[in-house]
Formats: sequence, C-alpha cells, structure tokens
Amino acid sequence: MVDFMTDLSVVYDNWRYLGGGLLVTVCLWVSAVVLVTISGILLAVARTYGPPWLVRIVAFYVDTMRSTPLLVIMVLAYFALPLAVGVTIPAFPAALLALTLEASAYACEIARAGISSIRAGQMSAGLALGMSKAQIIRKVILPQALIRVLPPYGTLVAGIGKNTAVASVIAVPDFLQQSTVLSSQTFQPTEIFTSALVIYFILIFPVTRMIDLLYRKVERLGRS
Amino acid sequence: MTLDFSVLHTALPRMIEAAGTTILISVLAMVIGIAGGLVIMLLRIAPNRVVSLAALSYVEAIRNVPLILLVYWGYYVLPILLDLRLSAFACGLIALSLVVSAYTAEIFRAGVRSIRPRQYDAALALGMSKAQMYRRVIIPQAASRVLPILASVWVSLFKDTSLVSVIGVHELAYVSLEIRSSTFRVLEILSTMALIYWCIGYPQAKLVDRLHRKYGAKE
Repeated sequence: MVDFMTDLSVVYDNWRYLGGGLLVTVCLWVSAVVLVTISGILLAVARTYGPPWLVRIVAFYVDTMRSTPLLVIMVLAYFALPLAVGVTIPAFPAALLALTLEASAYACEIARAGISSIRAGQMSAGLALGMSKAQIIRKVILPQALIRVLPPYGTLVAGIGKNTAVASVIAVPDFLQQSTVLSSQTFQPTEIFTSALVIYFILIFPVTRMIDLLYRKVERLGRS
Repeated sequence: MTLDFSVLHTALPRMIEAAGTTILISVLAMVIGIAGGLVIMLLRIAPNRVVSLAALSYVEAIRNVPLILLVYWGYYVLPILLDLRLSAFACGLIALSLVVSAYTAEIFRAGVRSIRPRQYDAALALGMSKAQMYRRVIIPQAASRVLPILASVWVSLFKDTSLVSVIGVHELAYVSLEIRSSTFRVLEILSTMALIYWCIGYPQAKLVDRLHRKYGAKE
C-alpha cells in the first residue's frame, strides 16, 4: 500500500510498446463498429420485412448471439473455425469476426426497435406515392428510424470498445494484451493495470458522450 | 480431420461441474451486485452533492472500462491495495459484482424516477407515512419496471462470467480450454462448451424477451 502507484516510469518507458497495442485496439474497434453498423441494419431490415423463413433464421441468430459469451465466440472463431474449414485465420481477423458476429445481433435489435417505431401509415403513404418498398425503406423509414435509436447505438459502440479487450484472450496484440505482457515482465501490475483502466476510460467515455451530443442535435429530424 | 467425441466420456462430467461453478458465480455476483447497486443508488440520489458526485463517478468509471481489465485489476492490484490475500474466485467475484452494482444502481434510479412526482404527493395526501408510501406505492411500481432490465443484466452477467477464466477460476470456459489443450480435441471440446453455454443461456434470453413484453415500459 505504501508503494502504491509511486513509480509510473514503467508506463512512460514502454509507451511505444503500449501505444502499439492501443493502435491495434482502436483499429479493431473502428473496423468492428463499421461492420456491425452495416450488418445490423441489414439484419434488422431482413427481420422486419423479410419472408417468414428469413425472419426465423435471423431471430435464431440474434438469440444465439445474445446467449453465448463473446469469449466463447472468439475462441471458436480462432481455434475451431480454422479446423472446421481448413484455413488458418490470424488472430486479428478472428477477433474482428467474433466481435462483429456478436454485436451485429444487438445492432439488429436496436435498428429493429427504430424501424418498428415508425408508424405503418408512412409505408402506405410511400406506396400511394408510387415508391417501391425498397425505396420507402431506404429513403423514408431508415433515416428516421436510425436517428431515433442513436442513444442505444452509442451504448453499443462503447460496448464494442470495451469488448475489444476480450481479443487479448486469443493473443491479439491489443492494448490489454500488451499491458498483461508488460506486467508479467516487469512485475509492476499495479501501475500498469491501473493506468490501463484510466486509458481505456479516456478512450471510451468521450465516444458515448459524443454520440449523445450528436443525438441532441439531430433528434428533431427523427420526429414524425 | 475426423471428429472423435469419445473424449467427452471423461470431459463432459468435468465440464458440467464447471458449468455449476459458472452458475454459482453468476448468482453470487448478482446478489452482491444488487445489494451494492441499491446502496450506490441511494448515495446517487443523496442531497449531499459530494456524495452523489462520488457515486456518479463510480458508476461512470466502472461502465466505461472493459470488464476483463477489471478482472485483471481485481486479481493483481486489488489484493495489494487492500493488503489482503484473495483467491482467484473471490477476485473474479468482486470484479463482476462491481460491474453489476454500477449497472443496477442506474437501473434502480431510473425505476424510482419513472414514477411521477404526483404519486408521491397523492400518497402523502392520503395520509401514508413516507415508509408506507415507498413500500406500497413507489417500490411495487418501480419493481415491475425494473424487473425486465434486471433480467437482461442477469443474462449479460451469466455470459461475462466466462471472462474470469483469464485469472484461472475453474468455471466452464477455463475448464474447457484446459481440457482442449490437454487432449487436443479442439473442435469437440469447444463446440461442446459453446453448446452448454447456449443450452443455459438461450432459454434465459427468451425469458427476458417475455418479461420485456409483459412488464416493459409502455408509452
């Protein structure tokens, strides 16, 4: 307790090593968010407007992802999937795949909530104007629906940021992985893990706040 | 590549026992977390600005860092900080409970705030004491609004227990990964592990949906 956090030089001295990890974390986070956003919207459209068989498949997929731990999906993607398909998958793509598979299910539910909050009359109005169903979904329904669900989307984006740390389990050299390696080499877990907590906080906290601010600016566009 | 599920003869009993540990950790963390969440919620709505700000900082700090890092922190740093010797199980349990308490504190606060102020006035006007008002009017309504969200927290917690495997707690993920590396039957063991998680988690996810439909806030 006396020596608690007295010597942060271990963090400064290894900033290049830790910074490299931070970069991997950010890359993983950004690419997962992009993929999750796209696939979440597609899944939500499929689950709302698709034929019954597709609706059932998407629902099963979503519920499966909601009931399986991310660590399990990640380990399966890294250790089991290559054996099943006979192709080696490096750790980073495996982690990205697992993060995307898991979070897409939540993104689907969020987007679907937005879509179902748009009154059915808008679809009728669009059809009456001679628009195709696809046009109405793309130009009328989705723009309003997605604005309405920005706050839970922000929570999801922050959640993906936190979940990137699970990639360290399959040895992706992300910020947490580098911190654990450094901690076992230097025997200074106190300084390293406590700084890591602070750095993750600085990374994740503003993102949620920024999405909330954005929502306040564009909220009125989602009204109808 | 051939699948050989005979490894499950010895592995499956161990994995099912470990699944019991997973459930035990989930239950304990939920109970401790809810108790902690109530305390933090009360601090959060306390009239003293310093107290409520401290509670808010706690909630925001916990909610904006990766749980797996909290697990490491609980294992490597917390014992030094407290000058205590803690088992991996205890450290994992503490980390999970911290997270549950931060989330449930916000859920309880939202639940209590969702009751319109007029109801407080009405209860007092009817001559109820403050304790009666909370017991008979506020808490029953808040509880039914909070229940489905608590159920969601429970399902995430059940999944998150897999993260304490990184500090060597002998729950389902840890034991499965250990059997995998000692038997090399990667595909068989990992798919069985996923199936066990799924069998426990899937009905719960469905139950959560039902609770949301039954009790969820309606506009």
